[in-house]
Parts: sequence; C-alpha cells; structure tokens
Amino acid sequence: MDVALIMMAGGVAAGAFGSLLGLGGGILIVPLLTLGFDLPLREAVGVSLVSVIATSGASAGVYLQRHVANLRLGMTLELFTALGALAGALIAFAIPDQALAFLFSGLLIYVGLTMLRGLRADRGEEAATLDEDPPLDDTADGALARLSGPGYRIRRFWPGVGGSVFAGVVSALLGVGGGIVKVPVMHLVMGVPLRVASATSNLMIGVTASASAIIYLLRGGIDPYVAGPTVIGVFVGATVGSRSAHRIDVRILRVLFVVVIFYTAWQMLSRALG
Amino acid sequence: MTDRSRPAAAPRDLDRAIARVLMAGTYVSVVLLAVGVVLMLLAGISPLDAAPSLDPATILADIATLQPAGFLWLGLIAVIATPTVRVVASLLGYGLARDWTMVAVSVGILAVVVASVMLAVGLEG
Repeated sequence: MDVALIMMAGGVAAGAFGSLLGLGGGILIVPLLTLGFDLPLREAVGVSLVSVIATSGASAGVYLQRHVANLRLGMTLELFTALGALAGALIAFAIPDQALAFLFSGLLIYVGLTMLRGLRADRGEEAATLDEDPPLDDTADGALARLSGPGYRIRRFWPGVGGSVFAGVVSALLGVGGGIVKVPVMHLVMGVPLRVASATSNLMIGVTASASAIIYLLRGGIDPYVAGPTVIGVFVGATVGSRSAHRIDVRILRVLFVVVIFYTAWQMLSRALG
Repeated sequence: MTDRSRPAAAPRDLDRAIARVLMAGTYVSVVLLAVGVVLMLLAGISPLDAAPSLDPATILADIATLQPAGFLWLGLIAVIATPTVRVVASLLGYGLARDWTMVAVSVGILAVVVASVMLAVGLEG
C-alpha cells in the first residue's frame, strides 16, 4: 500500500483519538511520525505544529460563533504564548534530537498519569475538581474586568502570563497545541470556567503554533510530502471524532490510550537514550 | 459600570467576523493540501522521497503545471498564515471599536510574528 495513504490513515487515527479524548492530537502525531516512519523528531514537530493549526482553525471558528471562546482574553494571553513559542522554536533548533525525545517522553508520562487520574475519577474514587467552576471574584479591577466574560471574573493575571509563556515554549518544542498547560492555567489560576478555558485555549493554538511554525518552515524543518498527507489525515480524523464524541463511550478509549501512551513514552525514552 | 460593559459588547460581531476568517482560511488551506496529496498519489510520490525545498518563486509555476509541491507549499503557507490574518482582522475590528488596549495587543502579536520571520531568515542566512 502507498506510504502516503498509510501516513494519512495514521493521521486520521491520531486526529480522531485526540479529539475524542479532548487532547487535540498533537501528542500522537509526533510519535506516529518518529516511531512509525522514522522521521527526525524536529521534522515531526514541525509537521505536528501545522496539523494542530489546521485542526484548531475550524473548531475555534465554531467556538467563536457560539461566543464560548473569550477572544479578548485569548488574544491578550496569546501575545505571551507566541513569545514563548518563538523562544521554544529557537531552543528546538539548538538542542539535539535526543534531548527533544527525552522532553517528549516526559510530556507523554505526564499526560498518561493525568489520564489515569481521570480514570479513577470516572469510577468515583476521586472528586473531579476540574469540573467545578470557581466562584465569582468581584475584587477584579477595571482592566481585568474587561478581560472577563459573562458570569466570571479574571484573577491572578501575571501568573497566567507566566503560564502562557511556558505553554508557548512547550508547544514549540514538542509540536503540541499546549492545551495541557493553558487550560489548567486559565481555569485553576485565572478563574475561567472550564468550558470557556478549553474553547479559548483552542482559539489560541493558531497564533501560538504559527509563531514557531514560521521558524520551522523557513529553516527547512517541514517536509511538504510528509505534511500534506498527515495534515489532511489529522483534519479528517479530528472532524469525524468531534462529531461522534457524544455517541461514543470514551472510557474504554481512555484505558486503551493510557496503555498506548505509556508504551510510546517507553519507546521515546529508548530513543532518547540512544 | 458603563466602562465595563462598553468594550465587552463590541466584540460580539467581531467574534462572528473572526470566525469567518478562521474557517475560510482553514478550508482554503485544507483544499490546497488535499489537491497536493491527490497529485502526489497520482504521481506515485512517497512521503519518504526527497522533497523540493521551499522556493516562493517556483510555487505558482508548479501550480500552473499541476506539480504537487506547488499546492502543498501554498497550502502549508496558507495554514500558517491564517492565524496572522485573523489577528489583522481583529486589529481592524478593535480599531473600528476604538478599543486601543486590544489594538495594542494585536500589534504586539503581529510584532512577534514579524520577529519570527526575521529570526528564521536571519538564522538561515
């Protein structure tokens, strides 16, 4: 079978899996291309960045139309995620592939452990504190009030800025949308309701990832023959995944995902250690 | 109180306009990439084959002669440029609403994008 078709099918799986589990898909594209097709890690990160920009574009549009995403807050924070992404891309070109593989396996282990906690919460062993929206804080001053939305007030702006810079660095180094950092920062630190935080994070992916993707593209870090089939695959997979999310019981998928992610982390770690 | 409600009311239409920019950019990019992939398949090109490097001067000629690389490069550039076009649209929208804080934020984001391009070109050279 044609390698392009296999790559596209892999992209469909990564996109569908990612959107069903609310993870984007970036986290699966890099292992797909490095472990599946033996691509250098940095090239895989470049392709993954383009995939997450394309996938987030359509869904961010829908969130904006429904007024779930907070454009004003998203744009203010993406100034800082973009700065972080710029720094992250420069770091990515300065450190060896093994160091990137080591960092990526760290991210996979973190996501795997987060998913495991989620599984325990599913069984009722642990309260899902993330789903509780924080209480209104009426002490926010004028500038913060303008970033706020209906029913919530932004607090702790500067720690949020710090978290955004970090999210940008993670996104540019590892080719992910960075929702894994941005959503907790907005929700738990800044007091944004979870639904708004994840929609706003999705909106921010484009600018964040493009600040670093420009560097990958212009420095020859993106192969068009790899990027074409992968981006189309991920886009189709994510679209199908998000439309069928409400019809599928994701609990079994999560268990499968935890297994896949720890196996991938092990493979990445072996790569890092040579 | 009026100070709080004025800027919050303005972006509602802007949300819809920005959404249209984002969706249009995304669909144009995906169509360009899809055409590139179909041409790749028809020409029997594998993703593992050596790819031509990015040369803006040849993109249009490649498209005119139905070379996959032309469509793929233009699609990739369109994907990466769409968020920046969205920021330019926000800049105009917030400018019309006289929301100077958000105009400054938009200009700041565009400055980071320009810095990315200059750094990439500088590092390459």
